[in-house]
Amino acid sequence: MITHELIERIEGEAVLDFKTDKSGVVQDANIRFIHFRGMEAILEGRNALDALVITPRVCGICGHSHLIATVKMIENVYRNAGVSIRISDKANAIRQITLSCELIQNHIKWLYLVMLHESAKMLGEEPGVALKALYVSSQVNQLCALFSGQWPHSSYALPGGVTCDPTHIEVMQALKILSDVECFIRDEVLGCDVDAFAQAMEQNKVLSLTGDFGTVLRNFERLGVLEQGKSHSRFLVLGDTQEIIVNSQRSGAIAENVSEDSSQTFAEGGNTYAKNALYNGEFFETGPLARALVQERTGISALHRLYGDSALTRITARVDEMVSLCAEVRELLMSLDLSQPSFITPPSIESISGEGIGIVEAPRGSLIHRATIEKGKIVSYTIITPTQWNLGNGTSMIPGIAQKAMIGAASTAKASLLFRTFDVCSVCTTH
Amino acid sequence: MLSNPARVKIIWLQGITCNGNTHSFLNDPALGNFLESAEFIHHPLLPCKNTLKELVKKLPKSDILIFEGAYSASFERAGMAMETLLPALASKTKHIISLGSCASFGGIFKEGNPDQISGIVFDKEEEKGPLRAMREKVITLSGCPAHPKWLSFVIDMIVSGKKIALDEYRRPKELYGYLVHNGCLRNEYFEWKVDSHHFGTKEGCLYYAQGCQGPFTHGSCNKILWNEVSSKTRSGTPCVGCTEPTFPKSNLFSTKTYMSIPSEMPLGIPKRSYLALAGAAKSFHIKRLEERLIDDNA
Repeated sequence: MITHELIERIEGEAVLDFKTDKSGVVQDANIRFIHFRGMEAILEGRNALDALVITPRVCGICGHSHLIATVKMIENVYRNAGVSIRISDKANAIRQITLSCELIQNHIKWLYLVMLHESAKMLGEEPGVALKALYVSSQVNQLCALFSGQWPHSSYALPGGVTCDPTHIEVMQALKILSDVECFIRDEVLGCDVDAFAQAMEQNKVLSLTGDFGTVLRNFERLGVLEQGKSHSRFLVLGDTQEIIVNSQRSGAIAENVSEDSSQTFAEGGNTYAKNALYNGEFFETGPLARALVQERTGISALHRLYGDSALTRITARVDEMVSLCAEVRELLMSLDLSQPSFITPPSIESISGEGIGIVEAPRGSLIHRATIEKGKIVSYTIITPTQWNLGNGTSMIPGIAQKAMIGAASTAKASLLFRTFDVCSVCTTH
Repeated sequence: MLSNPARVKIIWLQGITCNGNTHSFLNDPALGNFLESAEFIHHPLLPCKNTLKELVKKLPKSDILIFEGAYSASFERAGMAMETLLPALASKTKHIISLGSCASFGGIFKEGNPDQISGIVFDKEEEKGPLRAMREKVITLSGCPAHPKWLSFVIDMIVSGKKIALDEYRRPKELYGYLVHNGCLRNEYFEWKVDSHHFGTKEGCLYYAQGCQGPFTHGSCNKILWNEVSSKTRSGTPCVGCTEPTFPKSNLFSTKTYMSIPSEMPLGIPKRSYLALAGAAKSFHIKRLEERLIDDNA
C-alpha cells in the first residue's frame, strides 16, 4: 500500500510517501520537499558582503550558522586570492560562543517541541506547551545577542572579525545566563548532574534518568522504536575537523569529495526540490551523533557500540552535545581576552576575486557555503545544508540516511517519529 | 486574576518563509502570559487545535490571522494554493497581522521571483497585494524579523479593543514612529559628526562610512531592545533597513556618499541644512569623542 504523510511541526513541511506491507510495516519511504525559494540565485550579482545579511534568512532556527559559514567563505576567498586576512583569537572565540548558543537553543527546542511532544502524543497523552523549554531557549538566545546584537538574523560577523566590542559587563551577564541554562539542563533535561549523566551513558543506564530526556527515551521504548532507526552507520564531519567514519574506522575527509545529486528534483523530472549531498558518491550522516563519534566522546561511543546508530544513540548524542557545548561556552567566556581587537580591517572586498569555501558545524551537521567572487561581486553561490545529507532521497536499493532509518518501522506513524529524530528542517534542505 | 472568559483565537499561517518570525516570537519571555489570553487554532510549531491539513479542510473562523512570509498565488500549504487559502481565512477573521517584511512588502524572498512574489497588501511600496481590498483590517509589522514584543503589543491592543494609530504602510505609529537611530548608543558621535573608523569598536557613528540606515529607518530597535539586551547598532552592526519596503537594498556595509556626505539624509532633513550643520560640528574636533571610550580594556 502507498500512503502519503505530510510532516508538520518541523521547520517547514515535508512529504513522506510510504510503501507498506499488509501488516503496515514500512517497506520503503520516499522523502520529498515541496517548497523552494532560490536563495543562491538571490545572491548572484550582489556585493559579497551583502551575503552576510541574505544567507541568515535561509533559516529562522539556524541562520547564525549560515552567517558564520558565509563569513568563513569570504575570508577563504581573500586567502585564496593571496591576500592576508587576520582574525583575532577574541573574535574567533566570540563567533564560537554565539554559534554554540544557536546549537544549544536548537537542541532544547527539538527535544521538547518535537521529541517529547510527538512521542507523548503517539502514546495518547496531551502534552501542553513546553514553556519552560521555550523560556530557557530565549535565555540562550539572549546570551548570543549580548555579542551578536540579536537572534535570529544577526549580521555581526564580517571578514576580519566581529562588529561588537564587548566589555566585562556583557561577559558577566553571559556567564550568569549560562549558569541558568546549565541548571535547567541538570534539573529539567537530565534530572541529575553532568557527571551522573556521563556515568549513566557509560553504564548503559540512560533509560532510568529522571529528567525529560529520560521521559523521551521511555516514550520511545514504550512505542517500541528506541532501538530502531538504524541507518548506514557512516558519519561525516567537515566543519571543525574533516573526518569520516565508515565501519567504525575514522579517516580524514576532504571537501573536494562532496557532490550534489539533483537527479530527483523537479528540474530533472522528479518530485522534490531537495538535492542529495553525497561524499564519494555515498550517503553519510552528519550532525550531533557524527560529531560525538568523531570527537570520541566517551558516553556516546559506549552507546554506539551497544545500540549502533539507533534512535537511542541519536537522541542522546544531541542531549550530550548541549552539555558539552555549555562547558565549551563557559571556557571561552572565562578566557576571553577583551584587550584584543574585535576587528582587523582587511583590504576592500572590491579588490578581491577568486573562489572560496566556508564550512561550519551547524545544529544539524556540516553546512557548506561555496562561492566565486569577481572584484567583490558574487558570480555564483552554492549552499549545501546538513539536512541534504541526512534527509537525502535514494532508492530502495540504496536508501538515504533517514530513509534507511525508517524502513522496517512497524507503522508509518512510527517511521515518521524516527524521521523526526534527525531534526528535520525543510527550509534549509531546499533553500 | 482578571476574568477572561474567551481567549482570542489566532491562526498563524506561513507563506514563503524562513520561520524567522516564528522563532523571534518564541523569544518572548512573557510567552506563557500571552498564551493565558490567546489560543492558537493553528501554529507552525506550537501545540494547536488544528493541523495544517485540518486547517485547509475546515478553513475556520478566527479573531486574528497572523501571516508570516511572502505571498505567491501558486505557493501551497497542505496542497492548497495561497490564492485560495489566504483569502478564505482572511475573509473569516476580524484582524490580520502582516508579520515580518516578507509578508508586509515581499522582503528578501521577493528577490527570487519579483513578478510573482509580494506582501499581502503591499508589493514593495505599492498597494497591489492580494488582500488590498481588506486593507482596513490589516496591521503591518514589518522587520526581518519582527520583534516579539511588537507582536504581543498589537495583539494586546486588539484584545483590549483599543484603536491603533497607523502610518501609511499600516504600521503602528507607537512602534514605527521612531527611527532605529533613536536610542542608539552612538548618538553623540552622530551629533558631532564623528565617524567610526572601522568595525569592532564602541566609538563613532556607523552612518558615515559603514552603511548604517538607522537615521532613515522606522523602528523601535533601540527602544525595545532585541532579546531584551541589545540591537544591531549596539553591537556595532549597521542597521540594514529591514523594516522598510526597500529592504533589501544593496551594498549594505558601506555608505554611498555625495560631496563627501551620505547621499541618503536623516529622515526629513534637507541636504543644505545638514551640510551647514555637519561643517560646523566637524570643525570643533572634540578630543573626548576622538579617543577610546575605555582606555584600558584589560
